Amino acid sequence: MPREIRLEAIDPLRHRIRRDESLGMRTDVVVYASQAILDQIRKDLSLEQAMNVATLPGIVGPSLAMPDIHQGYGFPIGGVAATDLSTGVVSPGGVGFDINCGVRLVRTSLAEAEVRPRMRDLINQVFRDVPCGTGGSGFVKIDEKQLDEVLERGARWMVENGYGEERDAEFAEAGGALDDADPACVSARAKQRGRPQLGTLGSGNHFLEVQYVEQIHDQPAARAFGLAAGQIVVLIHSGSRGLGHQVCTDYLAEMNGAMRRYNITLPDRQLACTPISSPEGQNYLAAMRAAANFAWANRQGILHFLRGAFRRIFGEATRLDLVYDVCHNIAKHERYEIDGQKRDVLVHRKGATRAFPPGHLEIPEAYRGVGQPVLIPGSMGTASWVLTGADGAMRETFGSVCHGAGRLLSRTAARKGRDARQVQKQLEEQGILVKSETRDGILEEIPEAYKDVDEVIDVVHRAGLARKVARLRPMGVIKG
Amino acid sequence: MFEILEHTADIGFRARGRTLAELFETSALALVSIAIETDDVSPRAEYPLAASGHDRESLLVNWLSEVLYAIDGARFALRRCRVAEISETRVSGTGAGEPRDPARHRAKLVVKGVTYHQLRIVESPDGWSADVFLDI
Repeated sequence: MPREIRLEAIDPLRHRIRRDESLGMRTDVVVYASQAILDQIRKDLSLEQAMNVATLPGIVGPSLAMPDIHQGYGFPIGGVAATDLSTGVVSPGGVGFDINCGVRLVRTSLAEAEVRPRMRDLINQVFRDVPCGTGGSGFVKIDEKQLDEVLERGARWMVENGYGEERDAEFAEAGGALDDADPACVSARAKQRGRPQLGTLGSGNHFLEVQYVEQIHDQPAARAFGLAAGQIVVLIHSGSRGLGHQVCTDYLAEMNGAMRRYNITLPDRQLACTPISSPEGQNYLAAMRAAANFAWANRQGILHFLRGAFRRIFGEATRLDLVYDVCHNIAKHERYEIDGQKRDVLVHRKGATRAFPPGHLEIPEAYRGVGQPVLIPGSMGTASWVLTGADGAMRETFGSVCHGAGRLLSRTAARKGRDARQVQKQLEEQGILVKSETRDGILEEIPEAYKDVDEVIDVVHRAGLARKVARLRPMGVIKG
Repeated sequence: MFEILEHTADIGFRARGRTLAELFETSALALVSIAIETDDVSPRAEYPLAASGHDRESLLVNWLSEVLYAIDGARFALRRCRVAEISETRVSGTGAGEPRDPARHRAKLVVKGVTYHQLRIVESPDGWSADVFLDI
């Protein structure tokens, strides 16, 4: 059972756990949550995990917990921690097994009214054309040399090799590829595990959802993102597949062995870390960037196959344009003003989304006036959100917000007493078609397994970390 | 013998064995059966498995990471697992099974990795047990 943890309210949306030196904490924990969400958070180990993160050497500012926080392993999911670039550590657990798991939002030239009557055809076509890849491999065949190019150049490689349109890479975080990725730091095993999986969705909570724009909350921002009420959009949620998973496994093992050499002791071995400046830290970061680039290439491949499916059903003239692509699991070198001083930090986002405000130079020019699109998937029966980054995120959360609704029920609890066909039927009655490679895939991701996404979004909106732009409603879901 | 353990976002198992070697064998099978359907796996080929660690916990995590690589990287479906040698820091053995056929060995869950989250290995008069959580 979780231990008794004392939370102080800073205001109705911000709560603090004071630094406890006897537990090795180097800083406070700050939790963003409403009272109702806080009551849910207290039911699992996520706050304890956020306190463990506060023990990381070189942590700058508080260990942060977003309103979608839930229990992970090592880091909580929905956790953000910045470490000093010269004196701090890097923790593969602070990124997770699915390096650059993320979402991309695609807008279409179609309206809800013309798509609704052909939804079943569309979902069947997308299911055929976009592989889940759980049983075998995908449709992108690359050799070892090409894989190294993908690891260096991410989504850009895909676009240049016929898997995309010119503007796709520009509209992804970091332009769809991080610099300083080194394929030589990625093990042969990671490459073998990932190579056949390029352009596949995966399973678990990964999905592809056809949605319509239900409400616009911020007209100028929606216009900048090319979104209008009633428009059909597609949200793709996937990551770096087996390649990223193996990179994490490899470096976790290496760092677990190396920590003693750096005199680091931690309350949870899943937090294993070494100094950023150490050979282990540098190699991990070079491999992590390569895996992140693989993930962007993967989501780019999915978009390519998605375009084909839509055009087969609705004609060759159908437009599918990338609105944006954000990562949820990443560690990035960024610069923030802290106590009046500019500092270089490594921001670990474990189940958290970058949310840069208007004017930030890392946002594509077309969006710079309104802020970075922040894409928040909800559960498959509820809603997803488009937000924009706000100044509060730069001041308080290292430019970060939540990444989803946040799980409430375990997978076993979600399955208990439910029948997949029944769930499918209920969702169909609400106008949501679901097609899954596995029966359990549907049951484990039922809407009841998640927190209320609207309430999570309300917290970050009211706290000034991000602003609401549009609410999206699902019409069709494809799952691994 | 093993049972499934709950976790908000992921999944775990508690495995038991009369000996440490048996514990490692059972843990390997627990992981495989979470990832794929094993009923139709024929144990006609062998796959070598070996791992090292600096203590028993890291040995088990690294061993299971080997098994996971066999399934997801080498694409070999295991039906049985035998530990030939085990010490505090090294383990080796073989998996019996066949190359994965997506039609007959359907994927159940894509297991991303083996974690140290609440990892526990306990020795009692009845034998050994281990709690292991997987990221899915």
